[in-house]
Amino acid sequence: MTPVYMAAGDIPTPHIEYGRLAPVLIVLGAACVGVLVEALAPRAQRYGLQVLVSVVGLVAAFAWTIALGIGDQPHHVAAMGAVGVDGPTLFIQGTILVLALMSMLLIAERRHEDSPFTAQASTVPGSPEERESLVAGLVQTEIYPLVLFAVGGMLIFPAANDLLTMFVALEVMSLPLYLLCGLARRRRLLSQEAAVKYFLLGAFSSAFFLYGTAMLYGFAGSVRLSEIAAAISKQGGDEPLLLAGVALLSVGLLFKMGAAPFQAWKPDVYQGAPTALTALMASCTLVAAVGGVLRVFYVGLETLRWDWRPMMWAVAILTMLVGAIVAITQTDVKRMLAYSSIAHGGFLLTGVIATNKAGLSSTLFYLAAYGFTTVGAFAVITMVRDAGGEAGHLSRWAGLGKRQPLVAGTFAFFLLAFAGIPLTSGFTGKFAVFQAAMAGGAMPLVIVGVVSSAIAAFFYVRVIVLMFFSEPLADGPTVSFSPATATAVAVGAFVTLVLGVIPAPALHLAQSAANQLFVR
Amino acid sequence: MTAADLVIVLLGVVAVGAGVLVVATRQLVHAALWLVVSFGALAGSYLVLTAEFVAWVQVLIYVGAVVVLLLFGIMLTRAPIGRSEDLDSGNRIVALVVAVATAGVLVTTLVRGFRSAYVPIKDRVGSGSSHTLGGSLFQTWVLPFEALSVLLLAALIGAIVLSRTDIGGAGPEPEEEEPEPRRRPAAPRGTVARRLGTARRRATPDDEDTIVLSRVDEEI
Repeated sequence: MTPVYMAAGDIPTPHIEYGRLAPVLIVLGAACVGVLVEALAPRAQRYGLQVLVSVVGLVAAFAWTIALGIGDQPHHVAAMGAVGVDGPTLFIQGTILVLALMSMLLIAERRHEDSPFTAQASTVPGSPEERESLVAGLVQTEIYPLVLFAVGGMLIFPAANDLLTMFVALEVMSLPLYLLCGLARRRRLLSQEAAVKYFLLGAFSSAFFLYGTAMLYGFAGSVRLSEIAAAISKQGGDEPLLLAGVALLSVGLLFKMGAAPFQAWKPDVYQGAPTALTALMASCTLVAAVGGVLRVFYVGLETLRWDWRPMMWAVAILTMLVGAIVAITQTDVKRMLAYSSIAHGGFLLTGVIATNKAGLSSTLFYLAAYGFTTVGAFAVITMVRDAGGEAGHLSRWAGLGKRQPLVAGTFAFFLLAFAGIPLTSGFTGKFAVFQAAMAGGAMPLVIVGVVSSAIAAFFYVRVIVLMFFSEPLADGPTVSFSPATATAVAVGAFVTLVLGVIPAPALHLAQSAANQLFVR
Repeated sequence: MTAADLVIVLLGVVAVGAGVLVVATRQLVHAALWLVVSFGALAGSYLVLTAEFVAWVQVLIYVGAVVVLLLFGIMLTRAPIGRSEDLDSGNRIVALVVAVATAGVLVTTLVRGFRSAYVPIKDRVGSGSSHTLGGSLFQTWVLPFEALSVLLLAALIGAIVLSRTDIGGAGPEPEEEEPEPRRRPAAPRGTVARRLGTARRRATPDDEDTIVLSRVDEEI
């Protein structure tokens, strides 16, 4: 170690703009405080302290993000060029933080049972130790710092200005999620299977991402997105290294989004994971992944547009159709929403393919609108319960509308928003995305999008019919109200309605965020 | 062709050959040991390319830590150490086809991409030293570097959550730590459970011993 120590004097201090990085730093700092709480606070106080630390951290980070957006025109590169702080990034980060806050309401929920998460992750499912830990009322409070670590990774991911930072952020965001997936309180074997599947496939896709990064480095001599773009416009885009690198990198990115040839993990993971965490993954992870896709394809590979567009066309069409068609055969509510999420990934890609300002702003709006609706929908799922936990099977939802009209009505509203019926945010979002795609010359894509929306509407309406027009089951599921979950549902429904009825302010916000595109 | 070229080709042959043996051998421990050879050859190539710091990191982390971890894993899970016939998967033909195809695509891409590129090693001396690497690591790449430390912390917490069974409060420790009356309303339930837990605690070591003994019996 001595020579390193002696040479250290030669290295100039790096210049870090702490103010511009503050949202990320606050969230990661709150996670570290959470770890300390876990180590030092007495067991009885941990739950309260952890929830407090998480909520305060997320709210503070959101407030700082807004301050950054209101202040001077955000268009900077920070932390020695590793991170870009610009309009679209701040919009995405703000969306992630609000959605994480809403998901946190579900994660911290303790009304139905002690927690939606397992009492003690290390016990074998079905063992006497597991029963003891349940009777003793233990809670695994480590989940709060882990969720914050994941959210911190999600904040860095869409902001990363070079592929190396992006890869590290990808891992910071994924690793806690792999783990949290396996911590469901009920049906633990299913949950653990989901975690292992997600981990193995995720590790595989990370390897693709890294290999693509290495190839792009071989092509451009740098992993910085702006320098890759410069190298493409200088050397032309028919180098095998470049094309192979773009292909492998896209595999890694599209996997995180759950786009069509790489969607296999999504239904299994969404079904097995604790529903509160599914809400987090379906909203925040999707927003972060699409943010990363936007940055890579709008900044790094913008000059290569004509080469990657056919590939993305195929992926978008396949994603929309697979998501819409396979969803019809599903009998589990969470699996159905997972396929719906895949289809929505396809609609988002339609906006990405437009590669113009309208495409960027409409994708941003769609992300926010879909995120709120999906958290609300998963919150409703946590409320409808059987003796053995959530009523997952669709047949259990039969006639719910006659016994619990308010809850069933709200869920029906969310489903209509997913389908894109007017007066919901889903309609506005789809309209904006398709309009941008048409302006970008992707007419066939829009036609496929409309057709698959119609197919998707079929199974959403089928669930609504099941809830309102069939006889209620004698031993049907009960609905358990609790302030936290009800708040999440109410916020989701309110935003879905407002963005559908008066979308202009939010659309304007997305447009002004997208006005300067990404910083290079 | 210079001596350096020759050495790097030979090291490459060793690395690839050892890599093939890792998956082809029928003994788990041998696979781990062939991995040492493969990683070692890779470290040698880094050394030839004047990246001496990376080479030593490769030796320390991969040969030193990762393979030792693998061997410990084999040892602690009491996996079969001798020849075992069931190491071959039923899918090995498919796996072979996929592996060869992937390798073909990647090698073709790399060969076509770098066909004309040639960098004399003499120009690169010093570019892989710890000084250069440290400089760029703590200047240009300081944010990803710090993010990595967060990643390690998250992994550590995750490993604790998944593996530790003695943090649930089932043991007698909380009584020593908290002499004051329990604050939670669920105190009676908790007390019963803790008593149960204490009983289990006392029973466990014997159980484990029994299991170990029975294993030993089987092996004998």
